[in-house]
Amino acid sequence: MLHNRFGRLAATALAGTMLMGAAACGGSEEPTTTASPGDAATSAAPGGTGPKVGLAYDIGGRGDQSFNDAAAAGLDKAKAELGLAEAKELEAGNGETDAAKEERLRLLAQGGYNPIIAVGFAYSGPLKKVATEFPEVKFAIVDDEAATGPNISNLVFAEHEGSFLVGVAAALKSEKNHVGFVGGVEVPLIKKFEAGFAAGAKAVKSDIKVDVKYLTQPPDFAGFADPAKGKTAAEGMFDAGADVVYHAAGGSGGGVFEAAKAANGKAIGVDSDQAKTAAADLQGVIMTSMLKKVDVAVFDFLKNAAAGAPKAGTTVYDLKAGGVDYSTTGGQVDDIKAKIDEYKQKVISGEITVPKEVG
Amino acid sequence: MSASGLKTGQPPVEQARSGAFKLTWRLLLIGIGALVLLLSVTRFFTGAVDLTSAGAINAAVALAVPIGLAGLGGLWSERAGVVNIGLEGMMILGTWAGAWGAIQFANPWMGVLAGAIGGAAGGLLHAVATVTFGVDHIISGVAITILGGGITEFLSKVTFAEMPGGGDTQSPPVPKPQVVSLPGIGEPLAELESQRWFLISDLAGILRGLTTNVSLFTILAVLLVPLTFYVLWRTAFGLRLRSCGERPVAAESLGVNVYTYKYAAVVISGALAGLGGAFLSLVASSAYREGQTGGRGFIGLAAMIFGNWRPGGLAGGALLFGYTDGLQLRRGGESVHALLLLVAILIAAVAVYQLVRQQRTQAAIITGSAAVIVFAIFALTDSVPGQFTSVTPHITTLLVLSLAAQRLRMPAADGLPYRKGQAK
Repeated sequence: MLHNRFGRLAATALAGTMLMGAAACGGSEEPTTTASPGDAATSAAPGGTGPKVGLAYDIGGRGDQSFNDAAAAGLDKAKAELGLAEAKELEAGNGETDAAKEERLRLLAQGGYNPIIAVGFAYSGPLKKVATEFPEVKFAIVDDEAATGPNISNLVFAEHEGSFLVGVAAALKSEKNHVGFVGGVEVPLIKKFEAGFAAGAKAVKSDIKVDVKYLTQPPDFAGFADPAKGKTAAEGMFDAGADVVYHAAGGSGGGVFEAAKAANGKAIGVDSDQAKTAAADLQGVIMTSMLKKVDVAVFDFLKNAAAGAPKAGTTVYDLKAGGVDYSTTGGQVDDIKAKIDEYKQKVISGEITVPKEVG
Repeated sequence: MSASGLKTGQPPVEQARSGAFKLTWRLLLIGIGALVLLLSVTRFFTGAVDLTSAGAINAAVALAVPIGLAGLGGLWSERAGVVNIGLEGMMILGTWAGAWGAIQFANPWMGVLAGAIGGAAGGLLHAVATVTFGVDHIISGVAITILGGGITEFLSKVTFAEMPGGGDTQSPPVPKPQVVSLPGIGEPLAELESQRWFLISDLAGILRGLTTNVSLFTILAVLLVPLTFYVLWRTAFGLRLRSCGERPVAAESLGVNVYTYKYAAVVISGALAGLGGAFLSLVASSAYREGQTGGRGFIGLAAMIFGNWRPGGLAGGALLFGYTDGLQLRRGGESVHALLLLVAILIAAVAVYQLVRQQRTQAAIITGSAAVIVFAIFALTDSVPGQFTSVTPHITTLLVLSLAAQRLRMPAADGLPYRKGQAK
């Protein structure tokens, strides 16, 4: 029957188109540059004599107003100051496999990019594998110490020290002696934030109550992108009597800010200065942010690589090295700044050792 | 999800079980009353105030709405015989379209409309694939889920990334639908709630949660449940649509254009899932964010199955999931620990029922010991660790589903291919 045969043919064609469409949209495997406006100089800087740099972002990529953007800022600075020959940026897709990440890194290495920076701990396994395949290429990974090798630099941060400072700020500002912490996913990295925050709050007021909630458990990473859950969790804390809530929940943090606004409470941002990037009507509730200066680390690494001597192994960007800090945008912590800086000096001098693990 | 496992030999007629159990208003009210009483008792003895607090009820409704809308979408489609596992994809389309529409026209209700249209587009694709071309429903659904994620990723790169405050993976803040409260009762109820009296404070908390700070979109979503029931079960259109899901050949022999009805059902299904997505980006949070559906489409599908392919049942399933999710997110350790007591009481009640009314001694002993074990866990611990609290909604739904699963009956021709003029 003609009708049936046509139907089957059309169905096959449709299914094929669907799959191709999905493949084209889902992965950014092709070595094309991203389309965001800030990318005009992506493969530019012609005539530069420096290295060809490859950068593989985690989910979100350039424009996530947080972690990845900070890495991009470091790259942009390097482009401007180090005269890079070329920079290629690729981005991870949501829910992709490790094989896709490996392929992305391999693509960069085969394309002659050296050094190559992988942004985010999700690249740990894939990077280790690819680094052994290309021993002459220098790799760096942000936020991971597990992938080690003679050609791998691990750029890690002392998030617990930065979180300690905002914990101090939270305790100083809390009138009800009750603060909260919302984590995106209960992984060791985020637990470092919790440990530092709780230690900071308790350093100021030993009897302070710290509520803790993780939105999802690994391997479910939806907790980093679910503002509805972030809002519900923070509402619960404010209802229970907390008045300052700190989040390390990536994209779910927007919900925390909303809950803080509705409850007339305060919130603390994370990774970048969120009082500058959050929605205009929410900026007022963000009293400070824990800054994780991925840009400093990325620029540092590129500078060393351009000079021909990137350091393999772990480099910790801590409070002392200026890798973590707190923000003062909005002037809400101006009155307690002297106190926070006092604690900051104590951490730098080693008088206070901030715990990395929840005690 | 094939029909084979669930055929019980009963004739595929809705009235089949009506002799055994009929849900009346009276029974429903008694059930709700008993549930509130049980919650109140648990709250009173454990001190877990969040069980019946206004905030928890408010959160429960907000978390239940997207799941319920996705479930309603699944209901429309499956009642017409098309399995819709692409709800998640249609929901994702709805999150993007909802945010885009609201920003583009600076009006939240345009976002609601756009969300429905975005989801309906996904539904139309599913209908073309499954109804016209006879593609396997599961394959098409999975493809749409993947496609939904890919298309929105691309679309937000070309739209939101260009807007101030937006990015590749998120939109700028959206205008939100208006939030309303029943005037004049919020304050007194809050006062009553804070007294911590048995039952009265609990009732006050629940009422306050339901009547204050409710988004107009939530009200719209809730109204869609009785509307769906009315259209599908009380109109000729609905009868014809359901006949396509039960026995399309018979429907065809009576002059029903099965293709048209299936198309209508699947497009409406997509629109409802799209509304669920728009709710996520417009009400539950105030911006589109990549991956924010977090599998709610699939949970909606599960809620619908749990609700036995009926609107009331799926609303109950969505509320159960929303309530337990709200509890665990807000004050997980304490509230979930208190729920253990509630579960122990419930199981003990079942044991008594088995012993007294059914004279099944052995079953009663087994159920009774289960109640004792749960109570022992409750008594010996102070709080439930975070690793367990986050799966509370899933476990609760799974438990209820597995207990109720013996009595479920899906539409007889659900998921089966249908060609016009086929013999049987």
